[in-house]
Amino acid sequence: MSYAADLPTAPEFSQASGTPQSAPAQAVHWTRKPWFINALAVAILLVVWQYLYSVNERVPSIDEVVSFLGVELGGGSHGGVSRGEFWGPLSISLQRYVIGLAIGVPVGGLLGLLIGGSRRFRSVLNDTVLVLLVLPSVVWAFAASLWFGIGSTAPVVAVVLTAVPFMAVNLSSGIRGLDPGLALMSDAFRVPRLRRATHLLVGGALSNAVTGVRLAFMTSWNSLLIVEWFGTASGVGWRAKHWYDAQRFEGFVAWILLFVVFITLLDWLVLRRLEHRSTRWQQQPTLTFAEGEVT
Amino acid sequence: MATILIENLTKVYPPTPTYPQQVQALGGVSMSVTGNVFVAVLGPSGSGKTTLLNIVAGVEEPTAGAVRVVQDGVPAQVGYVFQEPRLLPWRSVLDNMLYVQNRKSDRSKREAEFYLSMVGLSDVAHLYPAQLSAGMQQRVGIARAFLVNPDVLLMDEPFSHMDALTGRSLRDYLQRIWAHTRKTALFVTHDVGEAVELADRILMLRPGGVVFDDIPVNLQRPRRPDDAAVRAVETEVLRRFDSMEAAVRFGDQRN
Amino acid sequence: MAYDTSVTPDAVADLSAREMRRSVMSRWGLRAGVVIGWLAFIGVWYVFSGAVLGTQQLPPPHTVAAEAWQVVTGDGFGATLWASLLRVIVGCTLALSASIVLGMVIAYSAWWRGLLGVLTRFFVSIPTVALAILALILFGVSGLGPMLTAALVATPYVMSSVAQGLTGVDRRLIVMSESFGRTRSQIITGVLLPSSVLAVIGGARQAFALAWRITLLTEVFASSDGVGFQIRRSFESYDVRGLLAWTALFIGLMFIFENFVFRQLERRAFGGAHVSQATAESTQ
Repeated sequence: MSYAADLPTAPEFSQASGTPQSAPAQAVHWTRKPWFINALAVAILLVVWQYLYSVNERVPSIDEVVSFLGVELGGGSHGGVSRGEFWGPLSISLQRYVIGLAIGVPVGGLLGLLIGGSRRFRSVLNDTVLVLLVLPSVVWAFAASLWFGIGSTAPVVAVVLTAVPFMAVNLSSGIRGLDPGLALMSDAFRVPRLRRATHLLVGGALSNAVTGVRLAFMTSWNSLLIVEWFGTASGVGWRAKHWYDAQRFEGFVAWILLFVVFITLLDWLVLRRLEHRSTRWQQQPTLTFAEGEVT
Repeated sequence: MATILIENLTKVYPPTPTYPQQVQALGGVSMSVTGNVFVAVLGPSGSGKTTLLNIVAGVEEPTAGAVRVVQDGVPAQVGYVFQEPRLLPWRSVLDNMLYVQNRKSDRSKREAEFYLSMVGLSDVAHLYPAQLSAGMQQRVGIARAFLVNPDVLLMDEPFSHMDALTGRSLRDYLQRIWAHTRKTALFVTHDVGEAVELADRILMLRPGGVVFDDIPVNLQRPRRPDDAAVRAVETEVLRRFDSMEAAVRFGDQRN
Repeated sequence: MAYDTSVTPDAVADLSAREMRRSVMSRWGLRAGVVIGWLAFIGVWYVFSGAVLGTQQLPPPHTVAAEAWQVVTGDGFGATLWASLLRVIVGCTLALSASIVLGMVIAYSAWWRGLLGVLTRFFVSIPTVALAILALILFGVSGLGPMLTAALVATPYVMSSVAQGLTGVDRRLIVMSESFGRTRSQIITGVLLPSSVLAVIGGARQAFALAWRITLLTEVFASSDGVGFQIRRSFESYDVRGLLAWTALFIGLMFIFENFVFRQLERRAFGGAHVSQATAESTQ
């Protein structure tokens, strides 16, 4: 038995996408099927939750949270004091999120193109972008809410400032990772500038750009929540804080679950698909026939 | 008719952090090539062969000297085959061909397909480069260089990364496609047999980038590497190669 | 090399001097670019501070620098820093040791890769701010929350980079070792571990950067000391100067760790990896 054969051939843990790479479905034992593994993961999480509930009186129980979610989503009454709100806070937060990303992603992309494409721009701008990247989002959130008060400006600014460096760093490193031989090839064949930009730069750095977009989406959602928590009186972050301040931890946990659902849906339905499409050329199986067989 | 005119070409690379010595890649090369000839530039590592091609292709600046690559008085179109295939990995084989094609027309695609068929790759035009073997990728590289309808064809050891059998079949492809077009060709290699098999003329460079010898090869085409005539010329070229090594080793600066 | 390539007649010496000047100038040009970049950064800061937001809202760089200096020389700076650093180090160590174990499990078992993949996705999609507050609910205001949150957040990332390092080991080296009849344990200590040292160090570096950010965030919510707590206090007293001063100190600290600690570590381990690989081959 060769030890080398034990090593998995697919090195990409991140691309394993939560399910073992499986061959034909009938050949797989049921304990290896994705539905079983997913169910097992959910079961583990629920058991851990139940355990935490039993040892810590501040942790809400599962059914408390579920029934709270029902009221909050359905707009029913929370014990006569206040009414459930879901779509209102969500639409306000989504507005801020979308506006911030609509500014931050293109600006970061442009910066990334400049830094990646030109050594001069890189020498001038690189350190600034790195400082922005290292800055914890909580600092942006605090600074933005001190500068712009409790309106919608602070969350939008925080989203922009978080998205820009992620986009810039990923795109520029993608461009700088391109094979210089390809640029020389394009020089030798006198490929015009525009075609070179679309086929060489964009084609080659597309997967990095998409990764940048994905990270920008994930991290700026976090920044948005922090600003809303500390510095606004509307939006989903504020709503979660509202229940936290009221010592209704089941409400707080319910909102955390909603955050997770939101980001997971976004990730699975949009971002991962984009990423998969942009890296399609790396995933094709190699032809197995020998040299000269195709003539 | 294409002409390559090279006068006193010199290239010196300044020291870099990774290689702290300055390197003289070309030390005053002069030569001229006119018409439908296949010229092999033969030399050991460090004789500036790749630098010479890059300067002729216009992708590198010489330190001194002049290069003119003209076709009927206007700058010539250059086709380049590199040591590695240098295909865009994220584009299909066909799109890689179209990427270098500057005169677009409704015939562009058919031309690309024609040259792919010349190297026997019609069936894989829609695949990504990574799906092909190294030899097949290099054949795309050859087809691509012919696609731009070059006046001058530059090739930089295109078969040196191949195994001997693949290299041999690729040389056949190259001979066939060259016989079809008969473009002025500059072919860099360190393999004496390859040079004799393909070239009408062999330009021998010595380390430091100086022309050591200029050998005409007057043999019938198509040639096979095991023809007696080819073998005879090869022996002669190897003899001169040995005398060059001796000259270099014993400090004879100029021939 | 068999041939002398640096034959340089006088004429060429002149020319090479020119090439040399050109390359030196371009190198200095890039250095100047870095200086220009920083000057521009500070300049933009001054402009925003003076003309856009006002010095109250955004104190100019020199005020922030003075404040930072006061913080550093004042009482309690060492204690604050140590409180955070200790949490980061413990969190980091926890994350790294968990990651090495889990990374190996992931690298060699598809089933565990699947299960941990699902759990990882779940944890990664919880906004860190929510984790910080959960830590507050679970542990109250204490040092334990930041520490464990940091470990929890860092582990998935570090784990996957360790696993990638392990699966990225050159299989030819393993085949080579087998062909020389090496045992499984010899292969692990001779090939697998040395080859994945870099990945582990990369993981540690990642863990450190992540742990700092999460510790900071969690301290904002659930701590009564540490850098994050100071940042929160500045925020609550509308003290932008203090906020920026602490932030600048934080960035400076990250820079020091990145450039001095981890780079040294990497350099040393890189040499070490080569040495032990060489001995693995020469034991034959």
